[in-house]
Amino acid sequence: MKITIDILQVLILIMAAPLVRGVIARLKARLQRRRGASVWRPYAELFKLLRKEELVPPTSSAVFRLAPVVLFGATICAAAFVPVMHASSLLGSQGDFFMLVYMLALGRFFLSLGALDGGSAFGGMGASREALVSSLAEAPFLLGLVALAVLAARADIAGMVAWTLGQNIFNISAVHILAFTSLAMVTLAETGRMPVDNPTTHLELTMIHEGMVLEYSGPSLALIEWASAIKLHAMLALLIALFCPWGMAASGSGWGMAAALLLYCAKIAVLAILLSVIESAVAKLRMYLVPDFLGVASAVSALAVIFTMWVKR
Amino acid sequence: MLTGSIAALFALLLAVLAVLVPLILIASRAESARRLAVALILIASFAGCVVAVSSFLRQPGPVLDLSRATPFPFSFAVDRLSAFFLLLVCSVAIPVTLFGASYFDLHYSEQRRNWTWAFLSLFLSSMIAVVTASTGFAFLAGWELMALVSAGLILIEGDSTERRHNVFIYLLMMHVGAAAVAACFFLFLPYSHGLDFRAIRAAGAIVPPGIRTAVFLFAFAGFGAKAGLIPLHLWLPRAHPIAPSPVSALMSGIMLKTAVYGFVRFAFDFLGGGPWWSGYAVLLVAAVTGLLGILYAIAENDLKRLLAYSSVENLGIIFLGLGTSLVFLAHHAPLGAALALVAALLHAFNHALFKSLLFLGAGAISNSTHSVDLNELGGLQRRMPLTGAAILVGCCSIAGLPLFNGFVSEWLTFRSFLAGSTLIDTKAQIVLPLMVGILALIGGLTAACFVKTFGVAFLGRPRSAGAEDAREVPLGMRAGLCLLAAGCVLIGIVPGLLLRPLVPLAQVLITGAGVPSETLSIARITPWTAAIVLGTSALVVLFKRRERMARTWACGLPELSSRMQYTSTVFSKPIRFVFARVYRPDRKVEQVPADQPYFPVSISYRSVRTTSYERALYRPFVDLIVSLALRLRRLQTGNIQVYLLYIFLALVSLLTFLRFQR
Repeated sequence: MKITIDILQVLILIMAAPLVRGVIARLKARLQRRRGASVWRPYAELFKLLRKEELVPPTSSAVFRLAPVVLFGATICAAAFVPVMHASSLLGSQGDFFMLVYMLALGRFFLSLGALDGGSAFGGMGASREALVSSLAEAPFLLGLVALAVLAARADIAGMVAWTLGQNIFNISAVHILAFTSLAMVTLAETGRMPVDNPTTHLELTMIHEGMVLEYSGPSLALIEWASAIKLHAMLALLIALFCPWGMAASGSGWGMAAALLLYCAKIAVLAILLSVIESAVAKLRMYLVPDFLGVASAVSALAVIFTMWVKR
Repeated sequence: MLTGSIAALFALLLAVLAVLVPLILIASRAESARRLAVALILIASFAGCVVAVSSFLRQPGPVLDLSRATPFPFSFAVDRLSAFFLLLVCSVAIPVTLFGASYFDLHYSEQRRNWTWAFLSLFLSSMIAVVTASTGFAFLAGWELMALVSAGLILIEGDSTERRHNVFIYLLMMHVGAAAVAACFFLFLPYSHGLDFRAIRAAGAIVPPGIRTAVFLFAFAGFGAKAGLIPLHLWLPRAHPIAPSPVSALMSGIMLKTAVYGFVRFAFDFLGGGPWWSGYAVLLVAAVTGLLGILYAIAENDLKRLLAYSSVENLGIIFLGLGTSLVFLAHHAPLGAALALVAALLHAFNHALFKSLLFLGAGAISNSTHSVDLNELGGLQRRMPLTGAAILVGCCSIAGLPLFNGFVSEWLTFRSFLAGSTLIDTKAQIVLPLMVGILALIGGLTAACFVKTFGVAFLGRPRSAGAEDAREVPLGMRAGLCLLAAGCVLIGIVPGLLLRPLVPLAQVLITGAGVPSETLSIARITPWTAAIVLGTSALVVLFKRRERMARTWACGLPELSSRMQYTSTVFSKPIRFVFARVYRPDRKVEQVPADQPYFPVSISYRSVRTTSYERALYRPFVDLIVSLALRLRRLQTGNIQVYLLYIFLALVSLLTFLRFQR
């Protein structure tokens, strides 16, 4: 029973990922007084791309074809760590958050290699910028999670979520606020959202992620787009599981699960609204201001770790 | 019976490597003699693995006592710690020898080849001697031999003035380090019967605290110089890149680990932990080493220098683990200490595998393209696919990505930092979890560095004629590379292979330690994550797709050229810009002609990292020594009467001394 729910959770994270993206795009459009496309459009795009033929640069090697595949596999493996409906997940009780973070790093590593294999200037530009952003984002990401793990005295994600479930909802500490701030900032950087990267342009002055995928087409591009949607969904789900897990099903009963799923959808919707407001309200940072942004995130997360000293007892 | 034959095997392999192989090579120039020598080195290395494994399983291990044949107590013994490092030395030596067998044949004249193999064999035997020595003299003899022979191996490659200067710096720092190591041994003398390791271990419990601190500091400085910890790293990026690639692989992969061995031997085995601040001191130095090491590595365009700096960084990670272990020891938490020590030792092994893989890869690249400048490479993956795949494995491993071995040891280090939050002490509770951030930054920068390395060297378009005409390397080289790559993947997916023996080893060194649960959980989870990643990838690959070759869009130009690609220099530019304070670049733009700024014929641009702090640290010492030497030179007048006066004065002072001594 438990394993069925665990697998179901991974499937939800994978299958609903384009929908989350569609909803955010739609909300942004409404905020900007446009009508916007249907929330199902990302699915249609994926189907379209999967059916198309693929264009491969003649100078590229096997790495170019391997990169999207590894990215997809690693992202799915990372998603398998994240709890959705109950305080457990497929890998969440055995593996810990270090593995989750490094799984995402594995995918990113290969995507950057794929970008460099295209042989054009844009791929290198995207990969180089991604290298800067991701190498600086790793420290606040892990430190924010460490602060929570120290409070929970557990390192496995399932245990951390279970510990938070046992706490009073009004018992929010400074550590939680600081850790949430830093992790939210990291989420923006990691998933290539607005103040750090603009997911909607192909303008070479600003782009990071879009620069890396410029040479990809057809099924490979579909895999990359899907993987980045899964990554966004999984990061949002991780934020929910760590900071607002209340409402997750305690038992394995069908009704409990259904209620937990509904509640999860509501929470994701709140986060989607927040994200679209931020993306509409904030201008993109200049490339060399991004390190400052991540520096603030690092400082905040370091403070979170230091403050665990006083909150723990 | 079995112990006896293992001891005989051990004696035999030392004799073969140290005496027989060099003798054969010096005696005969024949092709068959060299083949025989290489085969002997391979067999001896394999025998070394057998000795290591069997003496690990069956303690006490073999003992080889040569005290009667030598004027000093001189003996070797394989306890568990020695067995682990013996395995490290011998298992890396096999692929490196395989690689070298075809590499030296292609690159060296007959005479140099023989000398190289003779020195290589001596080098291996000296490292085996260091890690298995059981008396101070044996250790110091091996230690000295190791430095001298490796310097010889560097000089065989060529002897330009610059190379001699670098070797001079290398030898100088090795001898300063060796002096500190010798001081460690001699400080024990008043309290122990001799320099036998057992006597030193017994004395370790009774030495007064002042001496303990002194021993710890000398050990940290002496072995730190060998390990290339910043600021004692000066020799490493000079000496490693100029050696022939298989030798660089041995120097970076194995020789640096003898420093880890020595430090563990002294700090853990003999002293049982240092003073309370020792762990923090090691952590501080290691963190600086790791961060600066990888930042310097990223800025390099010469592949071998990049790898040398990355060795500095990895030794930093190993010492992060050792420092954490010392912090736990100081707070009497044996479980955490064991976890951190296991992490450090595993990273030492992993680094030996992937760093020698990458240095051999650099050798393969220079063999095929005659260059190790990243800005002249590119597009090699299509031209040398197997070499490329092996090096990709090495790059993933060194970047600490899951499914590869580097991840396992970095993960264990992360977990030992996290376990620091359970200590009672406030300092440790704050410092250790914060170190997660440092290691994460190091890890992120390493990933960036090796995306650059692999991406620029192997992907995209070739940037020079050499890269354009590159061919796959011969079978021997590929075999060496693939063996090491297979080792990286194997440990990455089934880490239990090494973790299961490492835990009892840590328990020997740290009394009262249980089995850290983290070592069990990582061994359980890695096969599953590997299955999920590889399974999904395989499913996706099975999905059929149509492909068509199409040229990359060139923004309207007829065709992209390799000059439009990102180079190694520009790839690292954003990181160099952000960390400009670390690099303090010295930029120079020159225009010709200078009086016509708007119509330049040529513009040249140069940006060099200044080593301001290195200069600030070393210059006073160098100045002091030089001025002392200059002053002493006044004694040498060349006038025979003055020398006679010196002799007379010396005689008189000695006689007076003797008269008043009683």
